[in-house]
Amino acid sequence: MTEIIVVTSGKGGVGKTTTSASMACGLARRGKRVAVIDFDIGLRNLDLIMGCERRVVYDFVNVINGDCALKQALIKDKRLETLHVLAASQTRDKDALTEDGVRRVLDGLIADAFDYIICDSPAGIEKGAHLAMYFADRAVVVVNPEVSSVRDSDRILGLLASKTHRSVNGNGGVKEHLLLTRYNPRRVANGEMMSVEDVKEILGLDVIGVVPESPDVLSASNAGVPVILSETSDAAAAYEDAVARLLGEELPLRFLEEPKRGFFARMFGG
Amino acid sequence: MTTQRAEAASGPAIDIRFGQVGLIQVLIWTTNPGAILDELTGRVATAPKFFQRTAVSIDLGPLGREPSVEEMQGVLDAVRRAGMCPVGLASGAAVAPALSRPLDLPLLPPFREFQPPAEVGARTRREEPRPEPQPEAGVLAQLHPQPVRSGQRVYARGRDLVVTATVGAGAELIADGCVHVYGALRGRAVAGARGETGARVFCQDFHAELVSIAGVFRVFETLPPDLAGKPVQAWLDGDALRFERLGA
Ligand SMILES: Nc1ncnc2c1ncn2[C@@H]1O[C@H](COP(=O)(O)OP(=O)(O)OP(=O)(O)O)[C@@H](O)[C@H]1O
Ligand SMILES: [Mg+2]
Repeated sequence: MTEIIVVTSGKGGVGKTTTSASMACGLARRGKRVAVIDFDIGLRNLDLIMGCERRVVYDFVNVINGDCALKQALIKDKRLETLHVLAASQTRDKDALTEDGVRRVLDGLIADAFDYIICDSPAGIEKGAHLAMYFADRAVVVVNPEVSSVRDSDRILGLLASKTHRSVNGNGGVKEHLLLTRYNPRRVANGEMMSVEDVKEILGLDVIGVVPESPDVLSASNAGVPVILSETSDAAAAYEDAVARLLGEELPLRFLEEPKRGFFARMFGG
Repeated sequence: MTTQRAEAASGPAIDIRFGQVGLIQVLIWTTNPGAILDELTGRVATAPKFFQRTAVSIDLGPLGREPSVEEMQGVLDAVRRAGMCPVGLASGAAVAPALSRPLDLPLLPPFREFQPPAEVGARTRREEPRPEPQPEAGVLAQLHPQPVRSGQRVYARGRDLVVTATVGAGAELIADGCVHVYGALRGRAVAGARGETGARVFCQDFHAELVSIAGVFRVFETLPPDLAGKPVQAWLDGDALRFERLGA
């Protein structure tokens, strides 16, 4: 059984691509066969974060247009053998995506017995975002702890409940998860950011993960390594927890408090 | 040519849907553009997010006479300058049809047919008509157990609406009867959507952006501290919308 998971948010720049890459890696590291697809046609960057940008020959739009076979466009990850990337086209615009074309690509991956298909949605609520969520079984809604991101997530949750294949056909709807990212405990404590509890209450959903704001994310994406693979990073541990929860494990949330500064750090200030 | 044909083959060019949308009514007592502009700009300023670029219907009912096309052009100009977008004309009497074509605006059914106040000429609006029958006894409320998300609208025609989950900011609940929310109300609640002045709004956790009953509404740019987060009911007392903490 293949499960299609959309990573979406409404608002731009909240961490969808970072999350898609890390969750795909996390699932593949547990032996699952995973394909991660960049739906952000014209602004591709999943391939950069995955570190495979130089190996993109054919892309998602090429497959849809029949320029190549699906197998030719799937890029095998060099680190994890069960992980595959389908890059977005940099040159086309979003109209190149059609419902029928997307369905054919997903059907091809299902026939190829992938366990998970992760759809990295573009920002907004237009065609690309619509098609990224349309066939999903589950949704990871990425949200930053601030008002506009929460509002956009509420909007996206409304679309997930009404404008997806599962909701339209009454197949029990899309299973929704909330992932809070760029969480900064100090700013939450100062009242500059919303807390996990605030966000949970407003959106009425449980959280599958809380990823702290971390400089490791930027350095990892510059290096083309999904942050979940940076062994010593809190962000990596948080994504690893989220993957475990996605697979049904129950784990307490971590990184909700500011790390205690050690003796030397306090001694020498800073 | 080929691209056109490909497009035509891929599906219909349009879809026609019948939908219910809430529309703001501007009832005019005068055709004096200056007076209209003054009042409108004042009201728009109280809730700019709500009124800017919003579609409105101009109701000629209170005027009690047939204005000329030129007069109406002045009215429309004033309404547009205040930042609203007139999309139709409404009038109980048979005056509007003659204006519809030259002004290029469709005729819309009046919301609550305007009836002149008791004292002739006085601008009191005490005696509101009750044109819509009460929902029939025994009609069950419409139950909505899922959250209503930003951008969604739920309409209960001819009955009460009961929502047992949260209503997000930017979501809209509309009922011809009462609106009940057993969760947080962060969006808009419109009760008595067809003019039932006895309709009420009840909610468990008040954070509403707007509450309207039988067309009388209040926008909350900031929430009164005595109501925020509290169980609240709202009802219409004559022309005034009243709010009260429940169980206080
Ligand atoms: N936990 C984090 N800590 C610090 N920076 C982060 C974190 N998560 C994401 N970022 C940064 O935020 C920026 C946006 O991230 P990303 O590209 O994943 O967002 P997106 O939602 O996919 O954006 P878009 O809407 O443009 O597709 C990047 O610069 C990334 O490095
Ligand atoms: Mg992205």
